[in-house]
Amino acid sequence: MKDKNTLTLLILFVLTIASAVVSNLGREWSWLAFILMGLSALKFILVVFEFMEIKKANSFWKFLTVSYALAIVLAVVLIL
Amino acid sequence: METQKIDYKNIFYPPGGILIWIVIFLELITFGIAIIALALFSKDDPEGFHSSRLLLNPTFGAINTMFLLTSGYFMATSLKHFKTNNHSKASLFLKLTILGGLLFIALKAVEYYQKIEHGLDMDYSTFFNFYWLLTGFHVVHVLVGIVILIILYFGINKKESKTELEDFEASTAFWHMCDLIWLLLFPMLYLIL
Repeated sequence: MKDKNTLTLLILFVLTIASAVVSNLGREWSWLAFILMGLSALKFILVVFEFMEIKKANSFWKFLTVSYALAIVLAVVLIL
Repeated sequence: METQKIDYKNIFYPPGGILIWIVIFLELITFGIAIIALALFSKDDPEGFHSSRLLLNPTFGAINTMFLLTSGYFMATSLKHFKTNNHSKASLFLKLTILGGLLFIALKAVEYYQKIEHGLDMDYSTFFNFYWLLTGFHVVHVLVGIVILIILYFGINKKESKTELEDFEASTAFWHMCDLIWLLLFPMLYLIL
């Protein structure tokens, strides 16, 4: 792969397509919200770490961004 | 070419600077609270929210996700070139980033037009109240981001450019923030409920 950002973009595309495919499995499927929000959190973390270069930053910022993504997923899944 | 160096391991200097990260977290917390409110309201009327959600076009949402992600990729590439003082390539990728943002806005405009044409305004249902408020505020952020990128573009193309790496990184961080918000809005509004 030519550079890491290109690989990141390809992974982000694959995860977006995966979200669209999973959403067609139907609302009755109890894991739907968890899987879709999980994929979304994964994309969030990829953008923050690779495109926003938080991977180079102090661990405090890595902890804060990952915690935010996980907190949102957890909150939505627990409510739904 | 000379590469500019910054000590990113310093807790007070995440890429873009601490001020832009305070703004980013304030925005993320605000949108996060709204997303949680959407989930809570949907519990009161799951069928109503589901039938309203089915009136949205998930293909539009998915294509807009691709536009923003690609635009974010171009922005990251532009920053990489700016750091090595390759201003012509930084400028080229900045233009592509702006184009991605404009495509997002154009598709959103088509989507909004269709919704209004079918009478799906804010008063149609609680779901559409959330839809208009959340996507509307997000669009405002994208528009502000595009203005920032245009100012940045003219800044780096001046003969004696005064654009610092910190300015470029802060603008980059703001643009990526628009991606982050959309990545959370897309599944909630178009796929889950």
